[in-house]
Amino acid sequence: MDFKWTTEHDAYRQRIKDVLKKHLPADWAQKSLYDNGSDFTVAFSRTFCPILAQEGLLIPHWPKEYGGGGMDAFHHWILNEEMWAEGEPRAYQYMSINWVGPAFIKFGTEEQRKVHLKGITSGAISYCQGFSEPNAGSDLAALSTRAENTGSSYVINGSKIWTSAASFADYCILLVRTGLQGRGGITVLVVPMDTKGITVRVIPSLQGARAIHEVFFDNVEVPLSALLGEQDKGWGVVTQILSNERIGAPRYALTWRGFNRGIELLKQHGRFKDTDVQAAAARCQGALEAAKALALRVIDGRVKGKPADAETNVARYAAVMADRSVCEFLGNYVPDFIFAADEPMLASAYKRTASIGIAAGAAEVQLNLISRNLLKMPREE
Amino acid sequence: MDFDFDSDHIALEAGLDQLLAKYRGSLPVGSAAALQENPAIAASLRDAGYFDIEREMGATGAVMLIEAVAKLPYTLEVAASALVAPKLSKQPLRGPIALSQGSLATPTRFLPQAGSALMADGNQVRAMDLSGCKVEALTSQFAYSYGRCAAADITKAPVLPGVTVGQLQQWWQIGLAAEIVGAMHSAIDLTVEYVKNRRQFNRPLGSFQVIQHRLSECTVLLHAARLLTYKAAWSGEPTDAALAATYAQDAAVRVVYETHQFHGAIGLTLEYPLHYWTNRLRRLQGELGGASQQGSRAAQALWAA
Ligand SMILES: Cc1cc2nc3c(=O)[nH]c(=O)nc-3n(C[C@H](O)[C@H](O)[C@H](O)COP(=O)(O)OP(=O)(O)OC[C@H]3O[C@@H](n4cnc5c(N)ncnc54)[C@H](O)[C@@H]3O)c2cc1C
Repeated sequence: MDFKWTTEHDAYRQRIKDVLKKHLPADWAQKSLYDNGSDFTVAFSRTFCPILAQEGLLIPHWPKEYGGGGMDAFHHWILNEEMWAEGEPRAYQYMSINWVGPAFIKFGTEEQRKVHLKGITSGAISYCQGFSEPNAGSDLAALSTRAENTGSSYVINGSKIWTSAASFADYCILLVRTGLQGRGGITVLVVPMDTKGITVRVIPSLQGARAIHEVFFDNVEVPLSALLGEQDKGWGVVTQILSNERIGAPRYALTWRGFNRGIELLKQHGRFKDTDVQAAAARCQGALEAAKALALRVIDGRVKGKPADAETNVARYAAVMADRSVCEFLGNYVPDFIFAADEPMLASAYKRTASIGIAAGAAEVQLNLISRNLLKMPREE
Repeated sequence: MDFDFDSDHIALEAGLDQLLAKYRGSLPVGSAAALQENPAIAASLRDAGYFDIEREMGATGAVMLIEAVAKLPYTLEVAASALVAPKLSKQPLRGPIALSQGSLATPTRFLPQAGSALMADGNQVRAMDLSGCKVEALTSQFAYSYGRCAAADITKAPVLPGVTVGQLQQWWQIGLAAEIVGAMHSAIDLTVEYVKNRRQFNRPLGSFQVIQHRLSECTVLLHAARLLTYKAAWSGEPTDAALAATYAQDAAVRVVYETHQFHGAIGLTLEYPLHYWTNRLRRLQGELGGASQQGSRAAQALWAA
């Protein structure tokens, strides 16, 4: 075992830090509020992603033939850590890199790859994920938004909910039902968000601006070439996407930064001498270290070409526990600073701990998967 | 970064696995006593050179040994002999070795069998040969043998040159965390198997989601504690050791509760093997002051309060 970064990895992290220092405005904290859906951050990302692309820092880990840097998955993780800790100056572009692009690489047609991979690697286009529906959350395979194959096009009717970034994304990776009930009848379509018949409503939330939306489809017509993979075989695409998404964003990176700021404030104000506070802080640090090490173990598996397994769910659940312990710590010991509104990073880190156990698969669903796939527990008879 | 063992450590793992297999399989169920010792295990480990593992394969090797032994239903002093002592003392000490925070008048683990003791004294560490010591053996339910020696004059024992109490604590914490990890692993495995087979309400208990979830959470705690322990062994950083011990001691409390809960009454009997690990975990949860003290120490080192 070796828990040390190579000098190459360290140098790469330093390059990212340098680029962030050079390009993030001095008043980044006040303007972005560490919210990747804020008007400011989204506008910023539109110039920042192309800059990252020019610097060769946008897509370290894809194969070179697809416009990536051909580096190992650790580089990708390092990039994600640094970006996430700054509140994501790429806005939601990280999704394109984490799972949209890889889905096109694996399932896309020549034509789709040409358009989409070029758009992603230049930092020009961004996506949203139209999976969840009002009646299909954890039970995603129950989705009912329908697409009719008319022979010359797909006509889509239905609605999606909880869609992040929907009001400013260029495309939606949309799950629709083309066949019968269940996993077998699901299809993935790539739908331009400016297609006629799509209406988007922002849902105000605790998570930040434009983090969740409702998206309505009223006789939305797209060409047959919008199909990603095969018709009725979308579930295979979904599984692939979810395994890249679950350990995708290193959420602990911002949580950790907020936690460190909390400690700093406690010390400055003479409130860190209490041994209860100290013990609680160490428990958070342990939980964060564990979440990080378990996530890195998953990335190590990716680097070595191992298929994703239940370790992913273990790592995800450990990340939920870490966010939860930090949320509790900050809420217990520095509530005055959180609520004073002059600590945007602390406030954002605190606020965002609430979603990790829900977004990208509820915590309890991770436990179900650990029970089934790691402990091999029996199903209900 | 590399989360797999290298080939030497993989070979070590296989060797240990083979050597310990026969003790793992033969759970002395039915006639079980509260305290299980088996001198044959110590002898075969010693003959095969495993107590010197730290010199050849570093702290990681020693942790692998401690973890593998802690999975057994038998109690055996290995953490102090194979990890703590080699890290602190150039001279070999007579084993088994008891670890003490400063007073042998308090019940001390392994003292009745111990050949020597490593003791904190102010900021120094002393190594005491116990040959002349009159140890009062205590009758304990809690898996380990305990003893005390009120008359021991520790100031006569030689000071280990250049060794601080912080170092004693650090390797003690890592040994402790590794023991907890091994014991939790066996307790969880036993419980998972049990709930798969035990039927109530015409279905296996393991098909109830509440049981699945709580055992899955225990599994996450186990994976996390194990990784933190190996990281601490690898880095040699005192704060990593303190964090690993904090995490492991907290996890132990949870795992003892859950594994017993899902066994029902049978888990409380001495005729069923769960107690081998329960009793040890219960003792280990409070060692060195318990998770909160461990955590407070880690915090002071990390953030220099
Ligand atoms: C900030 C945020 C961003 C999101 N972004 C997107 C997005 O971009 N695109 C998208 O498609 N979706 C998105 N989601 C939706 C997310 O994937 C769903 O919220 C999630 O899958 C859970 O579905 P649900 O909210 O309908 O909860 P439900 O499925 O109704 O579940 C509610 C709760 O019940 C429990 N539960 C559910 N099923 C089980 C079970 N089998 N066993 C035990 N307990 C269970 C869990 O505690 C769960 O949290 C986002 C969500 C959030 C919070």
